[in-house]
Amino acid sequence: MSHLLRSPGTLAALVVAAVAAAMPVLLPPSQVPVYVLLLLAAIVVTGLSLLMGYGGQVSLGQASFYMIGGYSAALLAVHGLPTWVALLAAPVIATAAAALIGVPLLRLRGHHLAFATLAVQLILLSLAGRQEWAGGDIGLQGIPQLEVAGYEFADDVSYAYLALAALAVVVLIARNVVDSRPGRGLRALATSEVAAESSGVPVAGYKLAVFSLSAGFAGLAGGVYAFFIGYVAPGSFPVLLSFEYVVMVVVGGTGTIWGALAGATVITLLLQLLNNIGTMEGMPAAAPSVLSYAVYGLLLVLAMLFMPQGLVRGLAFSSRLEVRWGTWKTISSRSAKRRRSSA
Amino acid sequence: MSDLLQYLVSGLAVGCGFALLASGLVTVHRVSGTVNFAQGMFAVVAGLAAGSFLSAGLPHGVAEVAAVTAAGAVGLLTGLVATGKPGTGPRAALIITLGLGFVAYAVEIMVWGDGPRSHPGLGGTIQVAGAYVQRQHLLVIAATALVFTALGLFFSRTYLGKALSAAASNPYAARAVGMNVTRMGLAAFALGGVLGGTAGVLLTPMLPISFNSDVLLITNGFAAAILGGLNRPGLALAGALTLGVAEALVAGYLDASYQTVVALVLMLAIMIWQASRRTALDMEAAR
Repeated sequence: MSHLLRSPGTLAALVVAAVAAAMPVLLPPSQVPVYVLLLLAAIVVTGLSLLMGYGGQVSLGQASFYMIGGYSAALLAVHGLPTWVALLAAPVIATAAAALIGVPLLRLRGHHLAFATLAVQLILLSLAGRQEWAGGDIGLQGIPQLEVAGYEFADDVSYAYLALAALAVVVLIARNVVDSRPGRGLRALATSEVAAESSGVPVAGYKLAVFSLSAGFAGLAGGVYAFFIGYVAPGSFPVLLSFEYVVMVVVGGTGTIWGALAGATVITLLLQLLNNIGTMEGMPAAAPSVLSYAVYGLLLVLAMLFMPQGLVRGLAFSSRLEVRWGTWKTISSRSAKRRRSSA
Repeated sequence: MSDLLQYLVSGLAVGCGFALLASGLVTVHRVSGTVNFAQGMFAVVAGLAAGSFLSAGLPHGVAEVAAVTAAGAVGLLTGLVATGKPGTGPRAALIITLGLGFVAYAVEIMVWGDGPRSHPGLGGTIQVAGAYVQRQHLLVIAATALVFTALGLFFSRTYLGKALSAAASNPYAARAVGMNVTRMGLAAFALGGVLGGTAGVLLTPMLPISFNSDVLLITNGFAAAILGGLNRPGLALAGALTLGVAEALVAGYLDASYQTVVALVLMLAIMIWQASRRTALDMEAAR
């Protein structure tokens, strides 16, 4: 334990955790909902980062699993199941859905997979808008308050702690996956599936597992979202949301948990700031959307061109952290060199 | 029976629009290996610009050509950003073109607002075998036939076209005989912009477009192009026409809101069927 505390990575994690835990109380009440949404985005992005960074698979439809989680929780709660059961069912159903559609979908690679995941979300949105039992285009309203063991989650602060707990669980799982044998297998198959397969990595199984796991994370976040907002509709899960998650992953840096958290934080705060600027007096009505699209786009392009490793590793925000991620640097610089020589 | 004919013609017209988009995707992918997510954006830019040029008093024809030229310039710019920096791989380029789509959203909302817009095309209908066929639909079909013929001649008869094909089929050999493959990639992007723009000016009178129509346009274009593995314009044309007709029939006989679902499911099925015939080894050997 003592050597764990001496490790700079653990220390940094403890500091971040302490700050994150203090935030809901320190923030002005009007800002707490933004914080909750930030945490939910971080949960989804951690999963997507596992999928994109470690597994090497691009998903342009991650919000579909957020949507499946949200709708599952909402439907179960509206139909009278205990709300905590509905919340727990959200990630389970999302994982199961991903495992099911992942079997045919993960035969695809690269841009095929990117378009296929986008197509899945467009299909889901189109179908959800037509189903009466799912509320159609209007959506499901009147989702009851979440209640766990007699405690009712009524205010924003309680949801902030719920989201924080969920994020902690997700980060812990992600960290353990990364450090495990399957995690190393994933990294191997991201570089070359043939090499990984011939070294005994069960490629198809691992790809399906990480796809389902990332979907489960998104489903959990979606479940919390449904109870927090109290209402879900197809319009709550636009394709743009999926792209937003990709922006967060890319800006933070694929393949690090820190990067996922940093990406979600930076983008959410930036959007909030732009929204504040855009809604100031004297600004045209379209200003908030123009500003946010411009910044999304520019960030994505600039990050891909000049900081392909992402904020965390690109800025080398702490030289001490670099030691912990040292193995990462060698792997990524080696693959960068390989890419350069093959180009 | 006359209903069927009407659906067929309108489906073919929409399919022709998809075919132009798909041929732009194919042109860019063949030469640079990049899947250009901004292909739908070119169509949106041209469609919206044509409307503005027309309301500024330019006559039909001139306005459309100006809009298509603008789309070509946007295409060239996209290519410069997405492939201009050495060491940018195809996957990074896909994400970059996605980002450029966002930047375009911002510009489009500033210039044209966020509502759907349309501009008048060729008005009126003519009667063919008891069915009323819109003249705009016939115009789109004729224009697409013309563009594909010109494209075929361009690739087989002109120096630049042959150079593009050469760079596509073997970049290494093309470089060895002194071609600038990067510049060929840029030419392909500009051509992709022109093709996407043509689709935009032709489709806008039939289906009003707004800044975020590009997602549906690109998914339909991709669905069509994927039939030929993103490399064969002829198969992309066949795919696009099938897609357009299938969507029109679903919209006509079943329910208009299911037409995109049909297209997307078709695309998924084709991709998965193709993937089952290619192993990871093939994919990595092709890199």
